[in-house]
Amino acid sequence: MKKNDEFYVPYIEGSLGVKTKQSLKRFVLSAVGLIIITALVFSFSQNQFKNATFELLSETKITGTFHESPYPMLRVHVAKDTYKNILLLGFGKFSANPYLEKLQHEIPDLNGKTLTIEGNLIYYNGKTLIQITNDEKVSLTKNTNTKLPEKTTISEMTLQGEIIDPKCYFGVMKPGKGKIHRSCAVRCISGGIPPVLATNDDNNIATYYLLTDLNGNAINQDILPFIGKPSEITGTIEKMEDWYLLKISPEHINVKSEVSNIY
Amino acid sequence: MGLDYQLVLWNKYKKAYDKIIIISMLLYIILFAAITLIFNSETTIETLVIRAFGSLAIIMLNIILIIGPLARLNSNFLPILYNRRHLGVSMFIAAFIHGGFSIFQFHALGDVNPIYSIFTSNMDYNSLTNFPFQVLGFIALLILFAMASTSHDFFLGNLSAKVWKRLHMMVYFAYALIIAHMFLGAFQQETSPLTIGIMTIGFFTVASLHLITAFKEQKIDSMKMEEQEGWLKVCTISEIEEDRAKIFTVKNQRVAVFKYNGKLSAIHNVCKHQGGPLGEGKIIDGCITCPWHGYQYLPSNGQSPPPFTEKVATYQLKLEGDMIYINPEAFDEGTEVEPCNY
Repeated sequence: MKKNDEFYVPYIEGSLGVKTKQSLKRFVLSAVGLIIITALVFSFSQNQFKNATFELLSETKITGTFHESPYPMLRVHVAKDTYKNILLLGFGKFSANPYLEKLQHEIPDLNGKTLTIEGNLIYYNGKTLIQITNDEKVSLTKNTNTKLPEKTTISEMTLQGEIIDPKCYFGVMKPGKGKIHRSCAVRCISGGIPPVLATNDDNNIATYYLLTDLNGNAINQDILPFIGKPSEITGTIEKMEDWYLLKISPEHINVKSEVSNIY
Repeated sequence: MGLDYQLVLWNKYKKAYDKIIIISMLLYIILFAAITLIFNSETTIETLVIRAFGSLAIIMLNIILIIGPLARLNSNFLPILYNRRHLGVSMFIAAFIHGGFSIFQFHALGDVNPIYSIFTSNMDYNSLTNFPFQVLGFIALLILFAMASTSHDFFLGNLSAKVWKRLHMMVYFAYALIIAHMFLGAFQQETSPLTIGIMTIGFFTVASLHLITAFKEQKIDSMKMEEQEGWLKVCTISEIEEDRAKIFTVKNQRVAVFKYNGKLSAIHNVCKHQGGPLGEGKIIDGCITCPWHGYQYLPSNGQSPPPFTEKVATYQLKLEGDMIYINPEAFDEGTEVEPCNY
């Protein structure tokens, strides 16, 4: 051990010698230098976050036709013959269903009815979702049946992408994909948030598919082990206006070891 | 040394130490936040907090872990060791903010208890790349919590130095868990060679300094001592500096042989407070003074001067000419032994 004549004793005033002080000064300066360098490196080297948006502090009122296909959505008229299907979500990591129950006591089948919902918008890359936090903010606007969006079968295809929970991916969390976020996505989808397959082609164009089982029903618990992992999925694609649906069976999900290229 | 327990026994050095810790932590958080908000402005506040405090905690842990071996290699660094607890508790606070926000963000407001979710939302325990890295971070956070919450002389006194030391040695296990947490978690997605490089350099610096220290100390432990009729040959008087000691290993125990005021005394090398190396201390006001926190012992009987009650084992020495010999059989802690006069 390298010793010097100085010997610092915490409770003896003036026992901190000149040489020791110099060493301490050097140590502190090195530590502060390390703090500055690491702050620069860690902050600058983060992947760029996307401009996905979650309007946590503001609420928007939307009116449209409610339908469950199979996940609750509101079909909103945006231009002549153009509709946007806004995915309805609950607070936290839950589906919108508990917030619709109150209204469903009065009208058991809400499909085709016009509802007005006030909630927090989530949007990115052409998709819009809304978080409902209070069942008082879901109201019936028109009790007559309105036309529901039609589904067209396209073909059976094998797609590569990652199963994500749309609530986080489209704005609530950044990044809302991959391994860091996997546990959260599992909780969200387990809580009833619709699973979505996000894909990205060679031209960096993203396409999103709402996943259902082979009968077109909601699929949540069966796909939990595959969430947040780059996967190859074979299923039947259907188009429903601005959304694609992919009918799948969990046996046809093949987890890949490569890096996910979504976003 | 103190007889009563107080939350913190403040002195001007501790105040300066804590100011440096607080300013450095603020500097890191402000710099990280400012750069992220300016150059990567689409971040969310939660992600910013999780990343800023998580990276700060691991950097602080690296600094904490190099202080021990640095102080063993160069006594100039001992004052940093003296107040290391405050640095440790501050690091835990940073880790707790990181962990708390992460648990809330990723596991709360869901269909199961958030703690249950940490262990069950990802069940790929048999895969390295898909391993549930949050579990590693959570266990590390529990260890750091146990350490931070017992980081006071009250617990040191009540748990016994041995138990307390063992508990606090778990920091190395926590460090290993945190390194794995980073490499199996964040670094699977944020793959910048700069951040991975910094963490790798940090790990090798910590490991190398510990290995160098262990190697040096192992030299003392493996030193063969010549035996003569039950006495072991130690060294000559001139090999020990005045008011200082030399450390030898006798029957697997480190012993410090002190030279002071024309006398020689030997005591067990391990301080009762936190296991500090008494042989690296100094005789001050007639007492052996531990280099770590200034605990004192009388060289002739290994007892702390009244009213303090700590006691260490003592050993008998004899002189033959200039050569010092030690009886390898330790006396009970606090046994009076006549010093060797020369």
